[in-house]
Amino acid sequence: MDDSLEQPDAKPPTVTSEGNAPEDVDQASDDEGDVVLDWTKLVPSAARPVIPRRGEKEFEPQPGGGSGLQLHVLDRSRNAMFEALRATRTISSKAVSYAIWHPEIARAHATVARGVLFTSIGHSVPRPVITADGAQKQHKRLELLPEEALYLTERGSLFCWKATTLDLSGVDDLEGVLGPPMSVQQAFSEMIGTEDLTLERYQVYAYLKRLGYVVTRAAAPNSLYPMPPPFDLSPLNQKTLSIFGRICSVFSSWISRVLRIFTGGFDWWRPFQHSRWFLRDKNYGAVFRALRFIPTGHGVPLLPIKAEPPVKPSPYHIFYNVYKPVTPFRKSEPCLPDYQIVVINARTTPMPSLRELTDLFDISPEMPPPLPRQRRPLNGAAPPNARPANATPVQSPPPPPLSLPRRILHWFRPPPPENTPPARRPHPFMAIKAGKKTVIVAVVDAGSTGFFRFGQGAFEEWAIF
Amino acid sequence: MSTEASDPRIHLRVANKKAYVWDVEDIATIRSKHRLCGVFTGTLPHLSQQNLFLGVPMVLLPEEVVLLVENGFAVLIDDPKAHIQPSVAELQRWNSKEKELAQFQLSQLTTALGTSPAVMSEEAIKKRKERELKRQAAAAKAAEAQGALAEADSSIFTPSENAAPPPATETQYTVVIPASSTSFEWYNDSTCLHSSIQSAKEAGIWEYPSNLHERAKCGVFRGLWEQGMYMGGGIKFGGDYLVYPGDPLRYHAHFSATVLESPTFSLTPMEIVAHGRLGTVTKKSHLLCGWDDGKKEVSYLSIEWAGFG
Repeated sequence: MDDSLEQPDAKPPTVTSEGNAPEDVDQASDDEGDVVLDWTKLVPSAARPVIPRRGEKEFEPQPGGGSGLQLHVLDRSRNAMFEALRATRTISSKAVSYAIWHPEIARAHATVARGVLFTSIGHSVPRPVITADGAQKQHKRLELLPEEALYLTERGSLFCWKATTLDLSGVDDLEGVLGPPMSVQQAFSEMIGTEDLTLERYQVYAYLKRLGYVVTRAAAPNSLYPMPPPFDLSPLNQKTLSIFGRICSVFSSWISRVLRIFTGGFDWWRPFQHSRWFLRDKNYGAVFRALRFIPTGHGVPLLPIKAEPPVKPSPYHIFYNVYKPVTPFRKSEPCLPDYQIVVINARTTPMPSLRELTDLFDISPEMPPPLPRQRRPLNGAAPPNARPANATPVQSPPPPPLSLPRRILHWFRPPPPENTPPARRPHPFMAIKAGKKTVIVAVVDAGSTGFFRFGQGAFEEWAIF
Repeated sequence: MSTEASDPRIHLRVANKKAYVWDVEDIATIRSKHRLCGVFTGTLPHLSQQNLFLGVPMVLLPEEVVLLVENGFAVLIDDPKAHIQPSVAELQRWNSKEKELAQFQLSQLTTALGTSPAVMSEEAIKKRKERELKRQAAAAKAAEAQGALAEADSSIFTPSENAAPPPATETQYTVVIPASSTSFEWYNDSTCLHSSIQSAKEAGIWEYPSNLHERAKCGVFRGLWEQGMYMGGGIKFGGDYLVYPGDPLRYHAHFSATVLESPTFSLTPMEIVAHGRLGTVTKKSHLLCGWDDGKKEVSYLSIEWAGFG
């Protein structure tokens, strides 16, 4: 059918020369996701290094390990890479932060917190402190989770001491030294593996942080860790139902129940028998609805699992809450997260089972259907399509109070959604593809991270014929 | 440090069952001599807001670790154990070195900047103070001549002059956050060194390969490596590895490879179609690598979309 579209291309990809634009684009798409990095274009010595475009590659080396030119170019690339890797983590003494790593509680106590990164990193916890006169007091201090301390250390913003049993207070030449200094290597060795942090989870954390996202734990590691309010898990469309609509729905379900008494239960051979009584129901939609006698939708619970002892807890659980860089984030009082992310190790974790996915969907909020594509640019800061429903009410100001007659009117007829242009119906395929609920899984295979989105498509809600 | 000089083998730092390489020289050796790529995991200092170019540490694939250790190119170090708590004397030596470094930087800065007022020695500050005092006195004299109003002004400004010059202790220097621990005097890895996978397994710091699938992966990896190929992670291409004919820095991958646990491993036709399609779309052939655990041999089979008509 579509054979003309897919001529196999067994020819070796031709070597591109610089400036050959169409070929270049072709090559780029060929290696989408592959590492096509040209380190020679990365100049670490420059004051403001620039991130180069993708480099060019060749098909294969000449027989015998490559021609002289190939070896030369390869050497140049390699040396550029090693040169970039040699860069040391340096920071001005006026910008550096300090922390003490306490392995026994898996926290780093930030003694000096400088820089804009601390607006979204760390939380304060009261810890007992022995004052000069020997009395114990609870003092609040800023503490970092292992991934936070490790990230700050390895990006060169934080200098970590390790808590020590040595008494360093009275020793000469050690003013300002709060313990043995920690290298980045030591931080990797000792911080990973504490407080449920694995290398995979750390890699996802660092990946998102480097892109500017705010990342917090989804499950509080201690009782004082600031958590966002819980999600509103009620279905979206029920909330907008008016009293009148609710009475109608109660009534119709009651009628059908009464009818079933008369017909003696459900007749599988005549599933839409009762619609005969209502002439107004003689349209396609009503007929198809009546034909649907097998329970559908995600509201129907899965069959109970056979009595199997749970082997071990599923690796599919939400680990991080993620906020977009534009979301106004308050460390002490976080709002609802923009995304929630599950982190798994691709080498040890199989695909999620239906039950694991359902468990995740059950705790995820419902999202409104995506808007149709042709959107007029409204008031500049229109929320993007993928924005979860829960994030908007947090930011939008409360609606002005309504007058009494209008409020009474609203009891019977729901008000039209505010400041929306004339209602455009969402495209059914878009809505099914996006799903009503979303789970994002970060899959890490030995350092390469991919993000996958599972959507719970509500096929039963869209009449397509 | 002394052990490294006598021992040409690369020290792989193992923590949480992952092997890291921290020394750039070691990374260069592994790359150029042993033709293994690893995966960079650390943030590149000064390019810390992107994910395209990453830096040390390099995390090795477990297959790469097994290959390096079995061939005697590298040893495994139990890294948390190698970090020994330093004594007070060692800390004092470290701190005095750091101080020297900061002092050295400061002196370099002052000589380099010369007349620049950004960083000043004590003398310079003194001189500047004197100069300012002189100017002030001159201004005051002029003000006296002008009248009482101006005098009031100068009395407002005088107290601020004392606070203006920054104290010398606040001068800025560069703090270096060390990447590798080998610069620490108290780091000692000679007692927790494992030169075989078996001994590392017994010590509980390593467990790969632990089953048939992992053995198959190691076997296939070694088989391809011995043919002069470079391997990278293939998760983004639906395979276990990407197989390159030369260094991935310069050459495209030819194959995406899937490891099968035995030569008689059953495949569904759908998988073959999927592999064939995927390989064609990405301009690669798909390579099925069957591992024979009895004979320790690999058999290869490549799939390509023929597309007649």
